[in-house]
Amino acid sequence: MAKPIVGIFGLTGCAGDQLVILNCEDELLDLAGALDIRSFHMAMSDNDEDCDLDIALVEGSVVQPEEVEMLERIRSRARLLIAIGTCAVWGGVQAMKNEEQREKLKRQVYGPKGKDFGIIPSQPLSSFVRVDYAISGCPIEKDQFLQAALSLIHGDLPVLPDYAVCTECKMRENSCLLLERGELCLGPITVAGCNARCPAYGQPCIGCRGPVEEANVASEVNLLREKGFTLVDIQNRLRTFGGQSEVMQVAPTERGR
Amino acid sequence: MMSTKTITVGRVCRIEGHGGITVEMKDGRPANVQMDIIEGTRFFEPLLVGRHYHEVTPIVMRICAICSAVHAVTSLMAIEDAFGIKVSPQTKLLRDLLVQGGNIESHALHLFCLAVPDFLGYSSVIELASDRPGEAKIGLELKNLGNKIQEMVGGRAIHPVNAVVGGFGLVPSEGDLVILREELEKGIRKALATIDLMAALEVPTFPESPTLYAALKPPSNKFGLFGNKIVLSTGETMDVHAYKDLCNEVTVAYSHAKQSRFRERPFMVGALARVMLFGKFLSGQAKTACRRLGLHKQTDNILYNNAAQAVELVYSIERAIEVVDELLHRGVKKERPRHAEIREGSGTAASEAPRGTLYHSYTFNKKGRLTKADVITPTAQNCANIEKDLRASVERAGKDPVDALREKLQMVVRAYDPCISCSVHLIDLRPEAERG
Repeated sequence: MAKPIVGIFGLTGCAGDQLVILNCEDELLDLAGALDIRSFHMAMSDNDEDCDLDIALVEGSVVQPEEVEMLERIRSRARLLIAIGTCAVWGGVQAMKNEEQREKLKRQVYGPKGKDFGIIPSQPLSSFVRVDYAISGCPIEKDQFLQAALSLIHGDLPVLPDYAVCTECKMRENSCLLLERGELCLGPITVAGCNARCPAYGQPCIGCRGPVEEANVASEVNLLREKGFTLVDIQNRLRTFGGQSEVMQVAPTERGR
Repeated sequence: MMSTKTITVGRVCRIEGHGGITVEMKDGRPANVQMDIIEGTRFFEPLLVGRHYHEVTPIVMRICAICSAVHAVTSLMAIEDAFGIKVSPQTKLLRDLLVQGGNIESHALHLFCLAVPDFLGYSSVIELASDRPGEAKIGLELKNLGNKIQEMVGGRAIHPVNAVVGGFGLVPSEGDLVILREELEKGIRKALATIDLMAALEVPTFPESPTLYAALKPPSNKFGLFGNKIVLSTGETMDVHAYKDLCNEVTVAYSHAKQSRFRERPFMVGALARVMLFGKFLSGQAKTACRRLGLHKQTDNILYNNAAQAVELVYSIERAIEVVDELLHRGVKKERPRHAEIREGSGTAASEAPRGTLYHSYTFNKKGRLTKADVITPTAQNCANIEKDLRASVERAGKDPVDALREKLQMVVRAYDPCISCSVHLIDLRPEAERG
């Protein structure tokens, strides 16, 4: 079987998901042997900008018009396009205040000089192109990435969790931060895969992996309100990483550009 | 008749983020030299406004993956400065350990995966591994050691979850620390092998030009990554709360990038600045390594930043062992994070990140919600200095064939180990029409 031809790309983000790939120190050389990596700007010179790709891994969200073109170009080259990381899957932390006018934010950060460059609200890849698989996480989990890579190398499709962080947390037998300590924990509605990392350190889940399929957000919100949290605080937490997701909009917000 | 020519590097590879270089030549001399930042903006400061103090750090550390540990620690220190929280000596030691872990990971990544392939003539660490597997393996194992520390102390190698306002969620066990100590001992040997590798490399001199260095002054006469005073190579010092006097950000006419200059002069922050200013305080094997790589003498050549990072690899591992020993000697206590008394006010803190001094400054209202945030990253400070060195390089190597010159310019940018994600919340992009 021929080695899959792979390109690894970054749009706007912290480069953390590409770093997770480089952090597979024990497996990196085997991985590089099993794949034919043609493009990985963060780690290689002499990148092939034109070849067809079996797999494109794309990190980061789209925040500028040029990135739409870049992404469309990657899509046209790739048989499978896989979004890696919460920015690529949901828009990331930079999508948190998407309803606020970009012009106003530009003025706040850059002053009058900001007027000359194009910027659009932070959006996930799926707003522009077909995404075949989404591996979320801020950053992605190394084990989950390696399992997905293994499946793809063998011509299989990766299997990703469709249950919540809460399930993993119960399996670790952590005491419940939400019910017992009354913390603003998003474990019940956040997609699993991190083995309930934050609750294991006594910290509530802040939803960095994005919402789980069929998340019961209404019930989570009711529970949090019973615990005494205000709608604003709940909304802030829901939107920290789930900015663009429809299910995470509990309070009416004005969607703007 | 004037001849003009523009040399561009559309995208510098093997750096973190999207950056390019534009050089305009007039009659064989550089007229305009620019470091272009092409990465999109994320507006971090406005994103933080209105958030509770305890929500600030997990958001703001997402500025950067490679230096997320030091972003987290500096952010926590700035919040604690605002509320007057004094953390325990154990917390201080664990934070030092976490930041050393980040320094080891970042320097190993830069040396072996991004920069050294330049000196040895490979396009990536993967290509390096097929020819010189021993060296690639040492690099990856050192990187892994840095990550192990960050996982153990910070709870995750990237974007640590365990470091919180007032302390740590869960403190590592003494058993974990004993195992880590063994790994660190092995790491020293690998760091010394890195010094051997660096000692064998010839360092070109083309970017050399007078340089002003800045770094935090360690409180005692020991090399370190923390301090409350900023020192410049001119001898001037200032309190970190006065960081704006140093990082004085100016908007430059040819670009929309904000840049730092101190009294009209660009300055350099990072491993080389630290070793130039405080290398005399190094001890143990790091001191020997510093002499071996010739860094006990002053240099104005940015390409020595790679050597300075190698010296710091040795330093950070030795310091990590020292911290582990002190923690074990004191006995690890299962303490809870210190409680915050919310009050209106501002707080500022600085640390030495792998790429140089990092400043976080916040203002909170009486309910503990953030009203103002300012984060100044090392790469934002270095941008003006990068341009100075690019200009010096073009002046010396301007007659080289264009491809060779392009390689040299990329080497200069890469030597700074720039972190574009970090810089970009302050530095914006130039319009398409102006790009090469």
